[in-house]
Amino acid sequence: MPLPQLIAEDVRELDRLLGELVTRTEASSAMIIDKAGFLITQSGTDAGVDSTTLAALAAGSFAATQGMASIVSESNFNCVYQQGESFSLIVQNIENDTLLVVVFAAHVSVGAVKYFANAGVPRIADQLLRARERGDGELDLAMMNMENSSEFFRKVAEQD
Amino acid sequence: MAIINQATKELQVKIVYYGPALGGKTTNLVQVHDHVQTQEGHKGKLVSLATSSDRTLFFDFLPIEAVAIRGFKTKFQLYTVPGQVIYNTTRQLVLRGVDGIVFVADSQYEKMEESVKSFQNLEENLKALDLDLNDIPYVLQYNKRDLPNAAPVDYMEFLLNNHDVQVPSFTAVAHKCQGVFETLNMITRMLLHKFINEGSRTGVKQRQQQPVH
Repeated sequence: MPLPQLIAEDVRELDRLLGELVTRTEASSAMIIDKAGFLITQSGTDAGVDSTTLAALAAGSFAATQGMASIVSESNFNCVYQQGESFSLIVQNIENDTLLVVVFAAHVSVGAVKYFANAGVPRIADQLLRARERGDGELDLAMMNMENSSEFFRKVAEQD
Repeated sequence: MAIINQATKELQVKIVYYGPALGGKTTNLVQVHDHVQTQEGHKGKLVSLATSSDRTLFFDFLPIEAVAIRGFKTKFQLYTVPGQVIYNTTRQLVLRGVDGIVFVADSQYEKMEESVKSFQNLEENLKALDLDLNDIPYVLQYNKRDLPNAAPVDYMEFLLNNHDVQVPSFTAVAHKCQGVFETLNMITRMLLHKFINEGSRTGVKQRQQQPVH
């Protein structure tokens, strides 16, 4: 099975859809993440937000919710909502492997955010499906330089 | 499974540290975090979802970029699982999308049964996710070699590394950072080797044709 890969066209379209969502919901940021915890792409203001860690934690949180769903025999826990005093967030299922995370000001109606998120999710899923179906295309790892392959990670020198 | 973003020339990879409770998984991540050479902004915060007594509850998480892979931004996400037996559901959750595994075994004689059971638990949890350990690069780390009751390495190899294909194994004293980077570099090599090989079967172009090792 080919590695999942995104080309510039995919990222451009996903960014456009996220940008639309951010504008319509007045969200501060929106991200598409992989259920393994990877950040795929994001839109909005992310000043001071560690989006890599947020993606990992959101994926973990959603996975835990799915675990709870299976315990109570519920198949439709497809959204996690956390309400805060300044900011709130939702984590919404996109398709089998990806999630949508929207961070928005607490005064914004979660109903509106969910409404626009629900409208955007199928279009995001379509673009991701197109990327997956492009499995036969060439994947360019030509820029990867494998020199020093025994020391990808180096330890800082010990100080006496 | 790893994600490749052609637009930003990024490869994202997930490595999970697995093993028995109190075996040194979190210590490995702490040592990597504290001692790795990185350019500014290439090392994230070490996040621990732990109990009040500092035992891993859900996972530890460390995002990091390798310094030696130029041209292609390779982002590694290092996770640990909770080692305590009762947290099996969360171990399964953390394994989702795993690309490579470091199994951290406790070298003490009296912990050997726990290590073996934890390894079996890893295989079972992968099966539950429709994954097979034979398809996933993994390495073994025999930790706590500085303790007087450490079992001989040959014995640990017999117990944990006696499958059809033997995998690389490393001795370690994680709290002194001994063996930590050797282990991480080996799993990284194995992973990238796998990606290049898989890529060559699916049309990946690469500059260097020889294997990684």
